[in-house]
Amino acid sequence: MEPQTTTQDTQNADGKDVVQSTAQDIAQGDIAKKKILIIDDDENLTTVLVDKLNFSGFIAESANDGVVGLKKALETKPDLILLDVIMPNMSGWETLEKLRIDAWGENAKVIMLTALDKPESVAHAMEQGSTVFIVKTNYTLDQIVEKVKEVLLT
Amino acid sequence: MQPQGQETKKGLKTKHAIISLTIIIIFTAGLYLSVPYVIDFFRNPQIDLGQGYSFEGYSILDIQVMLLSILLYTAIVLIGYIIYLLLTSSTRAGLISEYRTKDLSIAKFQLEELYENSPVPYLTINKNGEIKGGNKSALRFFGVVPEEISKKNFFAFTAEEDKELGDRLLNFFKADSPIDKQEIRLITKENGVKWASISIFLTKDSVTREKNGLVTVFDITEQKHLDQAKTEFVSLASHQLRTPLVTIKWYTEMLNSDQLGALNEKQKDYLNKMYLVNTEMIDLVEVLLNVSRIEIGTLAITKQKTNVPEMIDGILVELASQIDKKKIVFQKRYNDVLTNVNSDPKLLRIIIQNLITNAIKYNKDGGSVTISLDEKSGIGQSSISVSDTGLGIPKDDQNRIFSKLFRAANVKDVSNAQSTGLGLYLVKSVAEAMGGSISFVSEENAGSTFTLRL
Repeated sequence: MEPQTTTQDTQNADGKDVVQSTAQDIAQGDIAKKKILIIDDDENLTTVLVDKLNFSGFIAESANDGVVGLKKALETKPDLILLDVIMPNMSGWETLEKLRIDAWGENAKVIMLTALDKPESVAHAMEQGSTVFIVKTNYTLDQIVEKVKEVLLT
Repeated sequence: MQPQGQETKKGLKTKHAIISLTIIIIFTAGLYLSVPYVIDFFRNPQIDLGQGYSFEGYSILDIQVMLLSILLYTAIVLIGYIIYLLLTSSTRAGLISEYRTKDLSIAKFQLEELYENSPVPYLTINKNGEIKGGNKSALRFFGVVPEEISKKNFFAFTAEEDKELGDRLLNFFKADSPIDKQEIRLITKENGVKWASISIFLTKDSVTREKNGLVTVFDITEQKHLDQAKTEFVSLASHQLRTPLVTIKWYTEMLNSDQLGALNEKQKDYLNKMYLVNTEMIDLVEVLLNVSRIEIGTLAITKQKTNVPEMIDGILVELASQIDKKKIVFQKRYNDVLTNVNSDPKLLRIIIQNLITNAIKYNKDGGSVTISLDEKSGIGQSSISVSDTGLGIPKDDQNRIFSKLFRAANVKDVSNAQSTGLGLYLVKSVAEAMGGSISFVSEENAGSTFTLRL
């Protein structure tokens, strides 16, 4: 899928509830074409996330559980991993722990995705070297793209 | 034991009667012996002291004998009385002690029955923690017969997961520290594990005077499972309810972004409405989960430096569409305070957002809302007030306004006001959980002022 660069600035009536995608949102320069892997068991969510990230200039793909995701991550060595916490077979925490054992995985950039917002989850993420934590309900897709850019630039 | 006691009591009563009878006989005999002299004396009282120191009809010797017998009589009565006192006091003491012993043995019997049949499992342990015995309930708890637990160390029944705690409790007990309501997992028969709340009182062995422990083992397994189920429910609900809402949120956003092709105005309008309703649903789920967390007691409070004016401005931006729609005029009386309050920002936001939303929702069109921030220097108490010029709360409803699922009678007049009856309940619960308080003054058709004190 080719990213579109022609979206117009359409401010909605409230000016806030629906954040509009604009040409400025498209990743450019250093972070364009960066590889992003999304590991989440919910296919509906991964579909829209992959589309959004692809439209935004990244190369995104998804894996629908921790086991497949970890394998794919170690093979393709993406620039960033978006990792869901609650998944069957292998949870996000387990996946992260196993990833950190690997020589490449040790320093791989990871953003944790979760539906929960417990403070202890945030603390856990910090311990595992993932400083960015996204509570899905609190973020719009555009805010996620912003966060992704921010992490890729650090 | 009881018939024996009755016999003793009977014996004591007989003894008491015999002593009393003997005393009466001695007394009567003394009286009988001395009375004739006294009567004689009073019958012939002609005493002429002028005629050679003699009484008529009586010699001086007679008078001496008579006086002596009166003295003797008095002595007999006195001695008898003393003997009576001595003997009866001992039998009386015997009787009293017998009654007391009987009372005690009844009390002891009742205590033993209570211990044995109490629904709470009790165990007695020696100074090393070895089990000396247990009541029926304790045997039922462990699913054993007395021999199976006798002489085994109580603390060795600690489940693998709580071994460390078990060792610590044993050390506490050895160091004479009382143990109060410690929650611990214990191993029961056939490797079952039960949750127990244990308390250990220090006592002394009635014979050896050595240190003993009376252990109460309160079975809280059911309660623990329930707590666990509740916590899991909230976790599950928050995950399962939110995931589809997030999906709708992101897909709507994606469709509306034109990245998949431009939509016409009507289509965009529809999508915006879907998006807004979905956002309301996300908020409602959030409220319900917070209510559950409060009721289950798993609401975590993390206090940190919080900038209240900034937080309020953020909330006002979020509520901009509602404010514009009702043309509400906002007044801020911030007085440059509360920029650095120690509070939980997430929870404080829930409170303030609810208060401001209510002030808008139940206001009249073109009404005003005043937000005041105050800080009492010295005592460090901060307060946040939200006043409106709206419906107010009817007098009859004021004492129930913070009750769960309660809605004031006059809010039904507001056609568009969606109300769950959870907002103020949540506000009060959260405020109190954070150690603050909430109060209000209100007059129907004039408005309300809610004040949060931190």
